[in-house]
Amino acid sequence: MPRQISHGHAPLSAKQPVWDLPIRLFHWVLAGLIGFSWWSVHNDHTDWHIWSGCAILTLLIFRLLWGFFGSSTARFSSFVRGPQAVLNYLRGGWNGIGHTPLGALSVVALLVAVAIQVSLGLISQDEDGIYAGPLAGLVSSDTSDKARDIHELWFNVILGLIILHVAAIIFYRLRGRPLTKAMITGKAKIDAGSPPMRRGKWWVALLCLGVGIGVTRWIIAGAPPFGASAP
Amino acid sequence: MRRVTIAVGMIAVFAAAAVAAPLTKGRALAIMHQRHEGMEKIGDTNKLLRREITSSSPFVPAIQSGAATIAGLSVKANGWFPRGTGPELGKTGARPQIWQTPQDFIAKLHNFQGAAQAFNAAAKSGDMNAIKARYADLNGACKACHDKYRMDMHH
Repeated sequence: MPRQISHGHAPLSAKQPVWDLPIRLFHWVLAGLIGFSWWSVHNDHTDWHIWSGCAILTLLIFRLLWGFFGSSTARFSSFVRGPQAVLNYLRGGWNGIGHTPLGALSVVALLVAVAIQVSLGLISQDEDGIYAGPLAGLVSSDTSDKARDIHELWFNVILGLIILHVAAIIFYRLRGRPLTKAMITGKAKIDAGSPPMRRGKWWVALLCLGVGIGVTRWIIAGAPPFGASAP
Repeated sequence: MRRVTIAVGMIAVFAAAAVAAPLTKGRALAIMHQRHEGMEKIGDTNKLLRREITSSSPFVPAIQSGAATIAGLSVKANGWFPRGTGPELGKTGARPQIWQTPQDFIAKLHNFQGAAQAFNAAAKSGDMNAIKARYADLNGACKACHDKYRMDMHH
């Protein structure tokens, strides 16, 4: 996603932290798991596919919480902006670190699309009835079958967003902004005068991850007492 | 039990031999249709069974009825895979490997049939622990065969 771009009015300073470690780990593990989910379900490893989806669920819960309690660049309040801010950014009137107002749209779209995909997967069952998501028992068999069909189609939406995401990275790379490197090292040259990143606390990150794991475990168990116990 | 297994095996071999003569196209397509309907019924029954078995208050008569359905269909499956009913003839989820490694396929089919009978017996007993254990075995048997011999079939 586009994160920062210089519009020539502000000189770039030395490299500064822009992405904390939890965000970088979240990003790359999510990317890896999306690829793994795709591969496993197309190679007769539906069981691995379901576990991968559960791991993505944990990541999403973590990311949601880190968006409120994390480092400044991870917080939704720092990058979720209205259309006016996007227009302003496109005209070159934006100066900051982290997700740009336009890039933020891409981030939010990807997170929401993946969340929808996970939700559909949780209530899906395979065509043969051999595999079922942990919450499939909460809905009828017909609903589970429909959810699976939509789950399969919805992947194309995610794929489209990923293509857009990578295209934007290439576009910024050609304009001299190595965004991938920043997502690996966590550092980037930022516009002089931009406020520095305020770091979240490591133990808060662990707490957010702990909540993610806890909620996921509860869902894997069929979300008792509302649902069933896992087989 | 062993004697029953041998008997079932021999019936399967005879059934396979009986259809070894080339099938007419119409007959082969009819078998493929029957196979598809049968497999779909097994799958749909299995989906309902999973809901009952993983429910916090399973309804045992529903499990018994589903187990009997699958046990009955599993026996019919002996006649569902004669040579000449593969993807070369029409749309099917059956992989050609079924007829390339028939011994392995038949062994897996027998595993499924045995697991379906054992699950049916457990269901009749009404013992939920036994039902869950035999249901897991049955799913393992389905999976072992489908991983190798079932492919996507878009309709």
